[in-house]
Amino acid sequence: MNALVVRAAHKAFGPVKALDGAELTVPAGSLTAVLGPSGCGKTTLLRCVAGFEHLDAGEITLGDRAVSGSGRHVPAHRRGVAVVPQDGALFPHLDVAGNVGYGLDAAQRRSGRVDQVLELVGLAGYGRRMPHQLSGGQQQRVAVARALAPRPRLVLLDEPFSALDAGLRAGLRADVRAALHADGATAVLVTHDQGEALSMADQVVVMHQGRVRRQGTPLEVYRTPGDPWVARFVGDAVLLPGTAGGDRVPTPLGELALDRACHDTITVLVRPEQIRVTPPDAAPDAVAATVRGQLFHGHDVVLDLRLDDGTPVTARVLDRGQQLVPGQRVGLTVDGPVHAMPGPEPVAG
Amino acid sequence: MLLTGSLLAVAVALIPLVYLGVRAAEAGGERIRAELLTGATAELAATSLALAALVTAGCLLLGVGAAFLVTRTDLPLRRTFGVVAALPLAMPTYVAAFGWVSVVDGFHGFWPAALVLTFCSFPYVYLPVAAALRSVDPAVEEVSQSLGRGGRRTFTGVTLRQIRPAVVAGGLLVTLYVLSDFGAVALLRVNTFTRSVFTSFDLGFDRVGALVQATALVVVTLVILGAELAVRRHDTRYAKVGGGTRRPARIVRLGPWRAPALLAIVAVAAGSFAVPGAALVRWTAEGVSRPGSPAEIAGAAANSMGVSALGAALTMLLALPIGLLTARAPGPLSAVLDRLTYLTHALPGLVVGLSLVFFGINVAYPLYQTRWLLALAYATLFLPLAVGAVASAAALSPPSLEEAARSLGRGPWAVLRTVTLPLTLPGIGAGAALVFLTCMKELPATLLLRPTGMDTLATELWTHTSVAAYAAASPYAALLVILSAGPVLVLARRALTPGGTP
Amino acid sequence: MRTDRRPSTAVTIGTDTRRKAAPRAVVASLAAAVLLAAGLAGCSGEEPKDITVYSGRTQSLVQPLIDEFTKKTGITVAVRYGTTAQTAAQLQEEGDKSPADVFLSQDAGALGAVAKAGLLAQVPAELLAKVPAPYQHAGGQWVGVTGRLRVFAYNADQVKPEELPKSVLDVTGPQWKGRLGVAPTNASFQTFVTALRVQHGDAKAKQFLDGIKANEPQIRDNNIVIVGEINDGKLPAGLVNHYYLFEKAAELGVSPDQLKVKLHYFGDGDTGGLLNVSGLGLLKKASGNAKAKQFMEYLLGVDGQTYFATKTFEYPLIAGVPTAPGLPSLADLKIPAINLNDLDTLAASVEMIKNSGLTS
Repeated sequence: MNALVVRAAHKAFGPVKALDGAELTVPAGSLTAVLGPSGCGKTTLLRCVAGFEHLDAGEITLGDRAVSGSGRHVPAHRRGVAVVPQDGALFPHLDVAGNVGYGLDAAQRRSGRVDQVLELVGLAGYGRRMPHQLSGGQQQRVAVARALAPRPRLVLLDEPFSALDAGLRAGLRADVRAALHADGATAVLVTHDQGEALSMADQVVVMHQGRVRRQGTPLEVYRTPGDPWVARFVGDAVLLPGTAGGDRVPTPLGELALDRACHDTITVLVRPEQIRVTPPDAAPDAVAATVRGQLFHGHDVVLDLRLDDGTPVTARVLDRGQQLVPGQRVGLTVDGPVHAMPGPEPVAG
Repeated sequence: MLLTGSLLAVAVALIPLVYLGVRAAEAGGERIRAELLTGATAELAATSLALAALVTAGCLLLGVGAAFLVTRTDLPLRRTFGVVAALPLAMPTYVAAFGWVSVVDGFHGFWPAALVLTFCSFPYVYLPVAAALRSVDPAVEEVSQSLGRGGRRTFTGVTLRQIRPAVVAGGLLVTLYVLSDFGAVALLRVNTFTRSVFTSFDLGFDRVGALVQATALVVVTLVILGAELAVRRHDTRYAKVGGGTRRPARIVRLGPWRAPALLAIVAVAAGSFAVPGAALVRWTAEGVSRPGSPAEIAGAAANSMGVSALGAALTMLLALPIGLLTARAPGPLSAVLDRLTYLTHALPGLVVGLSLVFFGINVAYPLYQTRWLLALAYATLFLPLAVGAVASAAALSPPSLEEAARSLGRGPWAVLRTVTLPLTLPGIGAGAALVFLTCMKELPATLLLRPTGMDTLATELWTHTSVAAYAAASPYAALLVILSAGPVLVLARRALTPGGTP
Repeated sequence: MRTDRRPSTAVTIGTDTRRKAAPRAVVASLAAAVLLAAGLAGCSGEEPKDITVYSGRTQSLVQPLIDEFTKKTGITVAVRYGTTAQTAAQLQEEGDKSPADVFLSQDAGALGAVAKAGLLAQVPAELLAKVPAPYQHAGGQWVGVTGRLRVFAYNADQVKPEELPKSVLDVTGPQWKGRLGVAPTNASFQTFVTALRVQHGDAKAKQFLDGIKANEPQIRDNNIVIVGEINDGKLPAGLVNHYYLFEKAAELGVSPDQLKVKLHYFGDGDTGGLLNVSGLGLLKKASGNAKAKQFMEYLLGVDGQTYFATKTFEYPLIAGVPTAPGLPSLADLKIPAINLNDLDTLAASVEMIKNSGLTS
């Protein structure tokens, strides 16, 4: 059962096509992250689903009910789609309980639902506080609780963590994810943060220029992005041209195993963590490279390398105390099969 | 919805222009040329603009200065002075001018008029600027100082930049008000367009000549509005990125400047209040004429408050769609609609009054000489005061709040009732207070449009002063000022509360 | 892109909103006031009045007389007070739909303007018969009610008796340089200029105005201010109407001869001693209105005329009503007999005043 289906959604603001045939399917009970750079149309998609914007063309179905499309537009308040805006948008004149109970009728409010969702988000006992007495993170928790309270068909979260400190963000992500799951809610999270999307979601949808480029589990999207743009957007990528012959392909990094058999000109995706760095000539099939620089991240190190034919390569290695200095010669090997994407890599993307 | 409402409001605001158009067409091109293409017109225009410019400059200086002193310095009794600085709004210019004339010998002409008008109208700048200074994020000022700019350069370079929209808005109201003022320029004998319009009615009872002059005033207003729009377009909104609580602004220590600053504020308060107050006392002491019975005075006060309340309510009702449109859909259309409401703000009340007579006779006869038509005249005159208040109030209820409310299953009316209104009502109330007290002071349109037999404080004041019965007039003047002071207190308190906007 | 506010902003608003009990109370009271005002307008206990009078004359001077009229006749009168010029403009704007039955004007010129707009009916002949011809409309469309004498007012400390001008034409002399107050926008001054033109011709009138202008006149908006300033010693002299002195005395609670300001009357038919009139016009729609006629009759009767003579110190225009004690009789003064009611003549006078530069 799908909680939300979006088909061929089009929406333009003047000459700007915000949605250009976007497609989306969200299974009930799942958390789907819509990931994309600013201006990709993800917020517009969310606002169309919420009913704040009218679609130009296409169709939106919530459960078994068509809410947008073919001249129909169910208004926002009749959709059962609760929104958690970027800024939380707590009602400043209502206390926490008033905010959380806003979408409930009197009977529901008395039923203890307010306390229940407050407990879910870890704010039990905060009902009498006013929004301005809360920290930014607490405000977002209240916003999530408020959205969950009426048990909507769908909860839409619009970059809800982007305004918070990095330290606060990780904990809140986990808590919100737990709260959503505990309540059995179906949720769509809009974000431009790859880490957030990959770590929180059951399903990731990558949007670019008003279209969905890739939909799948976080692992699928990361491992098999399907095209070079998505590959680069969801993580660091080494993209190499090659002409495949069956399940192997010759590349500047040597002959690599492919994740599927093919016979075309392809672009090969090697994730930096697949590249193993060894002393030169330590392994027989190693490709020689020169270190140009490194970025130290604590738990790992990202190396900027250059093959002898001039191809730039990035490798990520765990920090084991080895000292690599610019100019040092190393040998590179690739672990596991690499992802084959059709066509030569576009010049710009 | 919003657009329809806005168009309706603009239509009301433009009634005087339609009227002037009809009368100018009747007068014919030759008459208009004869009336306007004269050296006298150029002289009137020059005097009016010079007076408006001087008073605006004075109000900017006093308004921004007072706002800075009460919001950002260690001036003693800051809150008290914060209220005192707003009080001159309660003083009608004709009372102030009359007071000065009767206390200071030979007090007339251009500079005295500029002085009185500045004293009476600087709160139009002071109130919004004080509110803006309260809400400016001190972080930006600190960044400026960390980049090596001293306190003074930070104020001019950063702080002033941020409060500029408030300064410009206040300045515009002052400029247009000065162009429309009759009370002070008549008593202090400065020949401005508005005084000339009034005089033209007296000269041979020639209404056409007066109205043709008023159309020239509209043209002058158009030019001013165009200039203001050009200036405002360069204003960018200050966007705050990232969370974090706002700290209160740093307080500037006045040090040796404390005494002069105190003195300046006291001098302004004295100029605005003590002098006219002394005159009222003198009139009462000197004269033997007496006002009507307490019942009559109370009746006039009740009438004043009744029609002013009605006027304020109607004005706010008409201002609501334009204000919301300006806040929610900023753009050329809403900017133009908003500015159109300012066009009549510079017209003499007499002309607006006559145009509403025209409207009442020809379009809304059942309303003629009822409170409703008078209230409509107030709306026509004072719409810009209300639109600004609504727009800044609407900004306090950002669309994301309403969307969140709708997504929680509440319909549009429920959202309006439970979210938008509770958040914007204080701002709308402040706007209503401003319009209310302005209606209280209005005279020429009130004289023309009031129901026959209805006296207000302003008309009673006029009645008695026109026969030199100053002692009889002074209680009405005092009551007018005292009753107007109530709304002023509300406005001042609001401007001095963090986050409030007048 | 939408730019949304951050939570911190909402925080500030939150604090703010809860402190807003006072303005909310104001809104509530405003709403209550509106309802009250609307309620009063709706069920105002006032029954419609029998006739409606538009008065360019001041309430405090006119209302006691009207109350007396109502007491005597039982006819109720709704009175709309305003300045004469603005009331004339309002009447012209209202045209046939005017609620007014009678226009009581401070000045003949305003009546002329309304008559010229075709709004006035013929004044009943028996009323016209009560008033001398120069003080009524040539076509019988308005009739004078009271006379107001042009005088030379002066401060007894600053002007010696021998300095007083014999003729108004003398005030352009050097001894009055910078010492003379005039109110050129005032209707009575305009009528005075018309009289000058009738008596002496346009050239002489123009020469007089130019002379005034060249003599550094003290220009004021109205006669009250001039009389007040003379009494206060701020102004030595001025050309005004006679009754302002009595108003001033009444306000100060003294007898007129205790004031510093004194009146000098021009005699021997001098234009300076012109008699202006306030007057009555009957609106066309009220031409057959017996109550309106009764009202006009009352003002032109012995009671009305006596009231004006004793309370406002104006000259009664009907025969047999004595002038207030202390005022010279019109016969003694030999006031110039000029018919002043031709509006076209007024327009030419106004043009002349404007051109003289006295109004700017």
